[in-house]
Amino acid sequence: MLFNSLDFFIFLPIVFIVYWTLFKKNIKLQNIFILIASYFFYAMWDWRFLFLILASTIVDFIIGPLIHNSDSSKIRKRWLWVSVIFNIGLLGFFKYYNFFVDSWIDMMNTIGYKADNSWTLQIILPVGISFYTFQTMSYSLDIYYKRLTPNKDFICFATFVSFFPQLVAGPIERASNLLSQITTKKTFNYIQCKEGIKLILWGLFKKVVIADSIAPIVDDIFANYETYSASTLVLGVSLFSFQVYGDFSGYSDIAIGTSKLFGIELMSNFKFPNFSRNVAEYWQRWHVSLSTWFRHYVYIPLGGSRVSKLKSVRNIVIIFLVSGFWHGANWTFVIWGAIHALLYIPVFLMGRNRIYMNNVVAENRWFPSIKEIFQILLTFSLVTFSRVFFRSESITDAFGFLKQLYSNFKFETYAHPLGYRMIDYFILLALFVLYEYLIRKDERSPFKFKSKIVRFALYTLVILGMLLFFDDNIDRSFIYFQF
Amino acid sequence: MKKLILKSALYFFLILISLELLVRVFHLGKDTPTRILDENNVEKWLPNQQGFSVTGNRRQNFSEFHINNSGYNSYREFTPTMDKVEVALVGDSFIEGFHQNYYNSIGKKIEKSIPGIEVYEYGYAGYDFADQLHLVNAYQEQFNAIDHVILGIKFSNDLTRGTYKVVQGRLALESPMNRLLKKSKLLVYCKSIGILDPPQMLLYRLKSLLKPPTPTNEISDKEKQEALQKKEEQYLTNFKSLVNTYGFDKTRYTLLLDSKITSDYFIAYLDREGFNHIDFADYFAKSKMPTTLIYDRHWNDHGRELIAKSISDYLKKTPIIE
Repeated sequence: MLFNSLDFFIFLPIVFIVYWTLFKKNIKLQNIFILIASYFFYAMWDWRFLFLILASTIVDFIIGPLIHNSDSSKIRKRWLWVSVIFNIGLLGFFKYYNFFVDSWIDMMNTIGYKADNSWTLQIILPVGISFYTFQTMSYSLDIYYKRLTPNKDFICFATFVSFFPQLVAGPIERASNLLSQITTKKTFNYIQCKEGIKLILWGLFKKVVIADSIAPIVDDIFANYETYSASTLVLGVSLFSFQVYGDFSGYSDIAIGTSKLFGIELMSNFKFPNFSRNVAEYWQRWHVSLSTWFRHYVYIPLGGSRVSKLKSVRNIVIIFLVSGFWHGANWTFVIWGAIHALLYIPVFLMGRNRIYMNNVVAENRWFPSIKEIFQILLTFSLVTFSRVFFRSESITDAFGFLKQLYSNFKFETYAHPLGYRMIDYFILLALFVLYEYLIRKDERSPFKFKSKIVRFALYTLVILGMLLFFDDNIDRSFIYFQF
Repeated sequence: MKKLILKSALYFFLILISLELLVRVFHLGKDTPTRILDENNVEKWLPNQQGFSVTGNRRQNFSEFHINNSGYNSYREFTPTMDKVEVALVGDSFIEGFHQNYYNSIGKKIEKSIPGIEVYEYGYAGYDFADQLHLVNAYQEQFNAIDHVILGIKFSNDLTRGTYKVVQGRLALESPMNRLLKKSKLLVYCKSIGILDPPQMLLYRLKSLLKPPTPTNEISDKEKQEALQKKEEQYLTNFKSLVNTYGFDKTRYTLLLDSKITSDYFIAYLDREGFNHIDFADYFAKSKMPTTLIYDRHWNDHGRELIAKSISDYLKKTPIIE
């Protein structure tokens, strides 16, 4: 069930009304209902994979107390490893098994051994597996690091693992944030629900108007890059930057907004990354829940930045490579991660990785300085360049794309593959960037204007935008579902 | 929660009104002319209507239509006489041409190519061969004064019936409910861009849930071939039946078809029996530019140029022009 489907728009109001009318007085019933709704939501894709979620839930629910109740650090570590191996094993099998087999065969063939690929399997990637396995692991890890005590209520824990707004593509929540909210009795909050609806509306706009409308252009340019000039390729990869941002941040906004309807606050996942002034700031604003996860559970345990510079650099390289690999079983993602590591390390070595942590561009000013504009453009360009690898189907395609970029270095006008006017998209993106700049201080309040008339006009324009850019013929699924 | 629901409903209503206004101001939705069934049982547009046809979102194709006195989209009135040279184009939406400005139609392009002739476009969306021959027969006096009649025929669509009957499904579009719904330009626009498809699909899905599942059998290639052959034979039978019922003046009537999507069996029959036909397949095949609209399967301006050229080339070889 997609957030941008009719099914969801029938499902959500029913769940919302039943939740707040029939079960408003009983937290246990509220959680049972949300759990059933979440399993139903997931089963609409493929009910068979519900057993994976259930297995992951049961394993961590059992292991949590075993880690907590043991005084021996050896035993605690052993149980933690059981949890990690189980969850990574699930992920590894369903997501990476064929990749490893193929890579092994390629390597054997390269060094002269003839190997066939009879070991590869027809495996369907279960939607959201990268997200919920990380979420359940965070529970065991937090107990191991004594940041959390185990939850004794299986329903609460299962709801934490499978909470439908964030089940399939995050934000990846830590148990300390989400589980504590699930165990607390919730009362209806008008303001929170109103904010939730606004976020859903804004998320839909980003998905339908920005991401989906650009998708056919990006698909065309990446599929036929050999035939296009450098100007078109730059256009393609730049538009992909907006597409992936609109798609994933739109999804996250809908997830956060939907959670608000049930009295639950999820963490922000995107904080206007397109206005980042260096790559470090970008990673503080892009897919925040994943960056946070890696920082807490990989980077810091490895020593973080409290070790020697060399080791810190090693840690940075590790988290970027792992983060790249998390995105998909393809070397393109590993290279994408490596590029980000290379971009991040100089910022880190210059000690500029934390300077923009607590402020936004043009803080307390209307307009950014020339320096800030230059920084933003440079960061956007670097990040966009890395996306050639993120978007390409294979390493060969990615390098082919880059080769074409310099070998066919000329300007050509580009015609939309479906016949639409390209100028519409340029105007749309210019207005979108401008609007995001206006609201850049608060990612959770996209319509924070005092005047009711202005707010009403914005709601109308956002819906009009969806009507203007809606295209019935394009694939409306979310990019990050494949991860 | 009551407050939230009430406020949401109020906002929803106000936004709908604002959107309706915006759709009207920017003319995003198409104007739909009124259909009628005339005294001769011919379905056509109510005469003397004007408006704009819009295809795709953001007015991707925006064109003006003008329904003349005879109830067809054309820049001219149909006044055939024995002393002028007139050609009639009879066909479906491709001839009707709501996707073009009425003053830049196929007929106009033919007139430009052959000065001195008048082209009357009897195009109406959904007309099949039965509709076309019924029209020609119902207005026999008028058509007798026309020097040449060209009937557009798409083999896979236009020969599914062997007798003429009024298509009630099309006329149902003029039901009071539909006319009321058409008053909302927002609704018309939403329908045209496919936003209303998912609710419709959902209804079909729910309906199919209630029905017992029908077993599906695998059909072999041989069976498929046999079914296709049977269908082609049926279409030919329908063609013969209609020609027998209404008559077909082989000296004045010509079929306009695309041999690429027409059965060889049917074309062989036409050749054998002396039915003249214009085949525009080659004109389209030689074109280096697209011939149809990208977001719609109708001919674009270039496609219409090619159709006009194929008809003009043909007419130039007929005695009426020579």
